Amino acid sequence: MTKKKVFGFTMVAALTATTLVGCSGAAEPQADQGAAKEGEKVKIKYWSTMNPEETQTLEGIVAEFEQKNPNIDVDVQNVPFSDAQNKFKTSAQGGDAPDVLRCEIAWTPEFAALGFLLPIDDKLSAEDKKDFLKAPFNYNVYQGKTYGVPHVTDAPALLYNKRLFKEAGVEVPKTMDEMYAAAKKLTKEGQYGFFVSADSYFSQPFIWAFGGNTITDNKDVKIASADSIKGLEFMLKFKNDKLSQQNFDFANQYNNMMTDFKEGKAAMIINGPWATADILSGKEFKDAANFGIAPVPAGPKGQGSPVGGHNYVISKASKNPNEAYKFIEFLNSTENQVKFAKANKLLPTRQSAYDNADLKADAVLQGFKAQMDVATNRPVIPEGGQMFADFTPNVEAAVKGTKTAEQALKDVEAAWNKLLKK
Amino acid sequence: MLQAIKRNKAAYFFVLPAMLIMIVLVFLPLAQGIFYSFTNMDQYNMGNRFVKASYEFIGLQNYIDVFTGSGLTEFLGVLKQTLIWTFTNVFFHATIGLGLALLLNRHIKGRAYYRMLLLIPWAVPSFISAFAWRWMFNGEYGFLNVMLTKMGFAGIPWLSDPFWAMTAVIMTNVWLGFPFMMVTFLGGLQSIPKDLYEAAYVDGASRIQQFFYITLPQLKSTIFTATLLGVIWTFNLFAVIYLITEGGPFNSTEILVTYAYDKAFSAWRLGEATTYGTIILSLLIAFSFFYSKVMKVTEKE
Repeated sequence: MTKKKVFGFTMVAALTATTLVGCSGAAEPQADQGAAKEGEKVKIKYWSTMNPEETQTLEGIVAEFEQKNPNIDVDVQNVPFSDAQNKFKTSAQGGDAPDVLRCEIAWTPEFAALGFLLPIDDKLSAEDKKDFLKAPFNYNVYQGKTYGVPHVTDAPALLYNKRLFKEAGVEVPKTMDEMYAAAKKLTKEGQYGFFVSADSYFSQPFIWAFGGNTITDNKDVKIASADSIKGLEFMLKFKNDKLSQQNFDFANQYNNMMTDFKEGKAAMIINGPWATADILSGKEFKDAANFGIAPVPAGPKGQGSPVGGHNYVISKASKNPNEAYKFIEFLNSTENQVKFAKANKLLPTRQSAYDNADLKADAVLQGFKAQMDVATNRPVIPEGGQMFADFTPNVEAAVKGTKTAEQALKDVEAAWNKLLKK
Repeated sequence: MLQAIKRNKAAYFFVLPAMLIMIVLVFLPLAQGIFYSFTNMDQYNMGNRFVKASYEFIGLQNYIDVFTGSGLTEFLGVLKQTLIWTFTNVFFHATIGLGLALLLNRHIKGRAYYRMLLLIPWAVPSFISAFAWRWMFNGEYGFLNVMLTKMGFAGIPWLSDPFWAMTAVIMTNVWLGFPFMMVTFLGGLQSIPKDLYEAAYVDGASRIQQFFYITLPQLKSTIFTATLLGVIWTFNLFAVIYLITEGGPFNSTEILVTYAYDKAFSAWRLGEATTYGTIILSLLIAFSFFYSKVMKVTEKE
């Protein structure tokens, strides 16, 4: 073949291809344009936000998937959870988003509102839809369309050191007053009752326990109500009465909380199931039986803990949405949810996973499951993922004492009204 | 004008590629940024591949918001922090740098090794140093507080108290930044003719007199350039603050650039963020202009 002929041939091929694409229905040009040809290897870029322990489990599952689907190559990229929200927005804006993202539940409505996500209603099977627990699934629905599938659900619980409880002769607290009394008995030289975190995510249980609220689904801001203020004031009491850590280091507080708990300095902390593997590596918890989990105590007007978790979503820019869905379907099968539950204590989102006998016998998992029964849903609004940016600095100021609880929460209210454009 | 262009055709031809790149990479984005500051752009109306842009031109509203009411209090607070941050840093950079340069300019043994050692803070990528310092500042398990408590003092709330947090980031940046001043001043010192000192010595000038009447005046243009650059860099230095305190506790270590970044990439209020960006640019242009004016006036004297 001469060069000219090759050129002509290519041109004809290209023209035919474009016409075919044009014919195949204007509704889904995205899907057809890049659909994989027979025998061609498809690459799926997946952004995972898992911690190192969870990533180990993930690697096994991905290897199995690639073996079963030799035409799909999954490129797993680990993005730190704290950066993922912004990184995804920036890259989606630039048109370079990954095919699949492990997406925090509050980010999902936001990304959907921004038009970055692909609706998957046509891909989701009816039995899967029925199997998913209602509350976690709801975070995937925005304006009547489904944008993802729930992978894990969680709610922080009250974690305690059983040995220290026994030594001090205290029972597991059921109410906030009992928790305060327990903290008092547990505080002595070299140890203290409760780690007060200024991360606003962990302040929410106190606000709900006293009848307060953050933002409702109707976008009503309730954070500066009298009840909310009472809740925050109660949390500050642990610090003011010296029943908490005395050294506050906001930038490092999560790590310090974990270290203090693992070393037996903190008797109680509030944290979620994702921390289990890290906690059990600590010297206090060499014997896993020493690790106690209970629901966050109830206050005078309620009880609650923020429901969190992660979904799997597909980017609208994905060139291979069918393969991408195949991947998340596999990743999120009952069998693999059980794997994550066993290895990393992540709470499944499928009813069928909870029917697994091993999981029924798992004390840690059942402990966190009990918290789910008294957990509180966060607002399912696009702004839900941004609310903590203004919330946390104000809780810090209240903990530090530069603002009163009332002033701090009033400032949060003002910031949220701006966020919600009121 | 045209005549001049014709005469220097070759010169313009040589400048052209660089100029084109500058236009594409610097001037166009700059103009675009300034334009955005007159719009109400945020993440929902900025548009993307799938959604049409729908932001609107709102004139000077963003600037009015920054310069009146609660916006003004916010802006002045951050501006004050920025000025404290910038001038404390540049002051210590310049004095420590000058002191070390004077020491290294003398014939001491192992001078080359000292010079190399003192350059280390500058040679290490700044984000690595920033993380190392952040660990050292840890209130409970950090090196500094562990040493303090071992010596019997109370630990310092480095990253959770507004004053100490600012001290912490300034300490880090002083450590990071003095080598540049040192090297620059050393270069300046070595270009001062030796015979000036010899003449002064013959005339009986003391060491201190030599410093004030020869070294400083001779070094003036070097100091001017280095501190001007220092002010501009430090004013816009993002990494140290962002990596160590993230602007906290409760925004007390935010400077204008980190604040603008938060507005852009945390709140996604891009109109407001570009307004801050434009204000930063104007402040620095004004500063450079007056600074060079002042220096020229003193030079004439």
